Amino acid sequence: MSSLFRGEEMKLCQIYFKSEVAYSCVSQLGEMGVVQFKDLNSNVNAFQRKFVNEVRRCEEIERKLRYIEKEIVKEAEIDLADAEETCEAPKPKDMIALEVKSSFNKTALNNYNLFAKIDQLEHDLLEVNTNKDALRKNYLELIELRHILTKASQFFEEHSQHEVEDTVSKTAFSMEGPLVNEAQPSSSLRLGFLAGIMNRDKIPSFELMLWRFCRGNVFLKTADLTELIEDVQTNTLQAKTVFIIFFQGEQLKNKCKKICDGFKATIYPCPETLTERREMLKGVSMRLDELKTVLDQSMNLRKTLLVNSSQSLKTWFAQVRKMKAIYHTLNMFSYDQKSIIAECWAPVSELQRIKDALDKETKKVDTNFQTIIHYVETKESPPTFNRVDKFTSGFQNIVNAYGVPSYREINPTPFYVITFPFLFGVMFGDAGHGLLMLLAAGFLIQKENYLKKAIKGNEIFELFFGGRYIMFLMAVFSIYAGLLYNDFFSKSANIFGSKWRVNLPMNFPFENIQQLSLNPNPYANESDKMYSGSPYAFGLDPVWQLSTNKITFTNGLKMKFSVIIGIMQMVFGLIIGLKNHIYFRRKVSILFEFIPQIIFISLIFVYLCFMIFIKWIKYAGNDDELTGACAPNILLELINMFFLKDGTVSEKDGVVTYDLCKRLYPGQHFVQMVFVIVAVLCVPVMLFTKPLLMLNKHKKSSKYGSRLQGQRNPLSINGNSSDEDDDKNAKAQRLGHTSNSVINLENDADLEEEHFEFGEIFVEQTIHTIEYFLGCVSHTASYLRLWALSLAHAELSEVLWTMLFKMGLTMAPPLGAFMMFFIFTAWGVITIGILCVMEGLSAFLHALRLHWVEFQSKFYKGEGYEFVPFSFETILNEADNLEN
Amino acid sequence: MFLDVLFNIDNGYLEGLVRGFKSGILKNQDYVNLVQCETLEDLKLHLQTTDYGNFLANEPSPLTVSVIDDKIREKYVLEFQHLRNHSVEPLSKFLDYITYAYMIDNIVLLITGHLHQRSIQELLPKCHPLGMFEQMGAITVADTSANLYNAILIDTPLAPYFIDCISEHDLDELNIEIMRNTLYKAYIEDFYKFCQELGGPTSEVMCELLAFEADRRAFMITINSLGVELPKDERSKLYPRCGKLYPDGLNQLAKAEEYEQVRMIAESYAEYKPLFENVGTNPGDKTIEDKFFEQEVTMNLNAFMRQFGFGVFYSFLKLKEQENRNIIWIAECVAQKHRARIDNYIPIM
Repeated sequence: MSSLFRGEEMKLCQIYFKSEVAYSCVSQLGEMGVVQFKDLNSNVNAFQRKFVNEVRRCEEIERKLRYIEKEIVKEAEIDLADAEETCEAPKPKDMIALEVKSSFNKTALNNYNLFAKIDQLEHDLLEVNTNKDALRKNYLELIELRHILTKASQFFEEHSQHEVEDTVSKTAFSMEGPLVNEAQPSSSLRLGFLAGIMNRDKIPSFELMLWRFCRGNVFLKTADLTELIEDVQTNTLQAKTVFIIFFQGEQLKNKCKKICDGFKATIYPCPETLTERREMLKGVSMRLDELKTVLDQSMNLRKTLLVNSSQSLKTWFAQVRKMKAIYHTLNMFSYDQKSIIAECWAPVSELQRIKDALDKETKKVDTNFQTIIHYVETKESPPTFNRVDKFTSGFQNIVNAYGVPSYREINPTPFYVITFPFLFGVMFGDAGHGLLMLLAAGFLIQKENYLKKAIKGNEIFELFFGGRYIMFLMAVFSIYAGLLYNDFFSKSANIFGSKWRVNLPMNFPFENIQQLSLNPNPYANESDKMYSGSPYAFGLDPVWQLSTNKITFTNGLKMKFSVIIGIMQMVFGLIIGLKNHIYFRRKVSILFEFIPQIIFISLIFVYLCFMIFIKWIKYAGNDDELTGACAPNILLELINMFFLKDGTVSEKDGVVTYDLCKRLYPGQHFVQMVFVIVAVLCVPVMLFTKPLLMLNKHKKSSKYGSRLQGQRNPLSINGNSSDEDDDKNAKAQRLGHTSNSVINLENDADLEEEHFEFGEIFVEQTIHTIEYFLGCVSHTASYLRLWALSLAHAELSEVLWTMLFKMGLTMAPPLGAFMMFFIFTAWGVITIGILCVMEGLSAFLHALRLHWVEFQSKFYKGEGYEFVPFSFETILNEADNLEN
Repeated sequence: MFLDVLFNIDNGYLEGLVRGFKSGILKNQDYVNLVQCETLEDLKLHLQTTDYGNFLANEPSPLTVSVIDDKIREKYVLEFQHLRNHSVEPLSKFLDYITYAYMIDNIVLLITGHLHQRSIQELLPKCHPLGMFEQMGAITVADTSANLYNAILIDTPLAPYFIDCISEHDLDELNIEIMRNTLYKAYIEDFYKFCQELGGPTSEVMCELLAFEADRRAFMITINSLGVELPKDERSKLYPRCGKLYPDGLNQLAKAEEYEQVRMIAESYAEYKPLFENVGTNPGDKTIEDKFFEQEVTMNLNAFMRQFGFGVFYSFLKLKEQENRNIIWIAECVAQKHRARIDNYIPIM
């Protein structure tokens, strides 16, 4: 909890590794995910860093793994096993490339290190694939040839039949006659032909081109293949067409061949006579069968290879990615002859764990050397680290979207958990709609583990899913607010029994009147008494549902509620600000910022709440002269207060009258005058005091400035607390000199701190002051959106009820029952689509605004930056997301 | 103009997109880093940190310059085709016009390749993917330009440009070069006219760019034909007549017989005068081509200062091409360990 309330304390550490252990130490830190390394070589190019070759090797292996993965995905039957949970990063020696053996040998593979294993696998797979592709190409070509042969024979046969049937056409076919009739090879016209196959979509332009180039002297015959066949080059299924071109003479033949080439048509030799063709077809079919068995064999070999690697592929991916991340991190360190220096931010609470882990790793290699952690004091502001879980992360995200909390500033998230859904509920107050939302949120939470995987990549859904706990609480609070407002889908429920009754005689002429006013006086005679005097047990009395002045009544109630809630939240914000001032020891800010602020808001706005309560308590529904219907308007009271006017005095035609009924309490006018004057006096106090004090302090400090600077020495505390570490300490400091760049940077930061300009500070304070005092007024008014939104929501759902549902219910029986079916659908869709989703989003937005602007402006800076630890978990998740 | 208000209805998305693509063009700092590379692997590593991202991640080592070239081209062609596929008239027509230039190059490439006895299957992959058209494969069948026109080009949008070069001569190197330039001339003039018809910022930006392109061609044709046997009237036929040189400058260029005369002609034009200064062929000097390229880059960058026009699409492609040339230049220098002239790229600032 404390870490969420104020962020964790961070330390800048320098870690001195011996170069042999750096790798394993970083690997260990990556598993823990608790330190954020700083890039000490930011001025060095990516390819000029120390471990660039190792990174490259990892990328190469990653590419090979991707290749293997692609091949596995191609085979539909093989499933990829998930990565093992506890796969450690491979050792650096796993990286050594061994000579790749030419043959596939499973037993030898087990002795290999990881990278060599992957190299070997990829090599084997490539080899098998080239074999397979060659065979497959052959196979596909034979299939094409078979198609051509069958089509060609069909074609030739067709035409010879034609001839027999119709002798007249023989003259018409004079050109083709000899060729179609193979019985007459000795014809004077000797026609040659080319047979081939090509993609169907190119046929029209192919035909056109043939016609143009050969000036109509060729004859093209095409036949579409009914099934899609695999293309030899692209390995995709395509619609193909078999064609035969007839022509005369060599020249035309060459032209045709070139055109075929240009259109990527494949030409196959096709014998001229029927018997030869039959022979060839037989041969082709036989070779196809043979090829099929060979092809199956090589496919099987490939499959065993893939099945073997599919088990551990994901694990390998994870391992290689870890290794790459480690080398990327090592690239950020600075090096001298013997040791490696890393700089990192780490939370204080984890320091012991980090130290233990480092010691353990170091001991494994060399017991003499110790990895040293050395804490550096710095002016640089540390990153903000809030430990969140799945419940609080949604709320923290809302806060971070405005601005990450400054280091050690109070984090508003813990308050958000309740106030955010509460304000939402006030605006979205309908128990029925809240219930629907609760069901949705409950579903998301119930199926959490399943959904987390299922929705990966769907951004909009991820947004809702990420806010499932916020949604859950919002739903709970809207149900609560709905019960208070007594609204269930805009209807009221009479659970505890209304405290009002229509106390009229039986023979009262009801039919003569349009409206009936109920007497609110609880002290009336028993015969006239309509209000029992005690309120409804919980929430709004259901009798208001029927009244014509329901809106007037609820408006007054909700408006006052909004103001009270708003002022409470703002005062709370100021108190959090006080906690911040105390924590950072800003005495001046407490005295001359917080105190004027709290006085101002108390004397005017808390007093406003006070007036509201007095009005509620003092005035009742009786006709009494003093407490009757003369209750003052709170807004007018406030305005009168500002103008220092007495609200009870009214002047008409020079006659002054006093209306004591309007007085909330004796001495009201005097008290109000004092309050306003004191409040106004707070303004100059806040405006001038702080900048003047700072100026004074600066003048003093610049006098002693030089002396102070001499004393300021970076505190260095050694990680080891025992006494024998003195020499280590010295060593650490000596090493510290090598990282000059860091120290220089710190000096720069020091210098900047010294910079002081009175004008700037004064302008800033002026802005701050104006913002606060005007803000108090406008923010209070802004909280009225709570009332406005809840009014809009209630009205909208009521309109929907009267316009749709009521219409359906009042229809005549047979038709009504039928219509009700459709009306309910419409009502349901609009209720969910508009009232729940759209109104929900709008209420969410306003709750967000009230928190960001009205609440946080009272205390929140939000100038920090997030702590991003070096963690394998996030790195692997990111890589997974990229893949998807 | 008030019609600018309507520009975004059809083209706003694409304009936004193209401006986004443009912001991914390598900056000067990137070139400074690229030049320091020792190997192509270094180059790849650095390009990974730019907008190119993982475009080389799936290429097995060792890398070659041609692989890098292909991948870079593939990337911007993909971007261009995305733009083309989402565009509507008249932007789609405009984008088509841009591709005609590549078609001309492809035709010339195929014919020249065929003259040198290369097979069509070998030549096709070398063609620029933006200038592909269906009948391309059959180009090698044509042996005269009349044949080429009647059978192949008649179906392509280039047909009207071809009218001027129909002849029954056999295709040889000089003929092809003349054909290329005639086609280009007709193409640029037509494109110029089209842009003028579009009006508004498009014509203001594009006419400027095309005029420059036309004049550059005129200069280059003159310079390259100085020692070649090409009749002067033939030469003047090749000059595109939409630039700032038209008509006086072109007349003079047609008569020019040596380089010095060309320079003199350029002297009288404020735009071209500085380009001919400090030019030389010694190492360290810039060639006249580079000077023109530099000027072109500046003009293309200026095109991005205008909104509601199509100029940005043209300029984007040209800038991408220049970037492609730059990277390849650096890559070649790195690959051949020839670092002396590695700085001769043209930065896009």
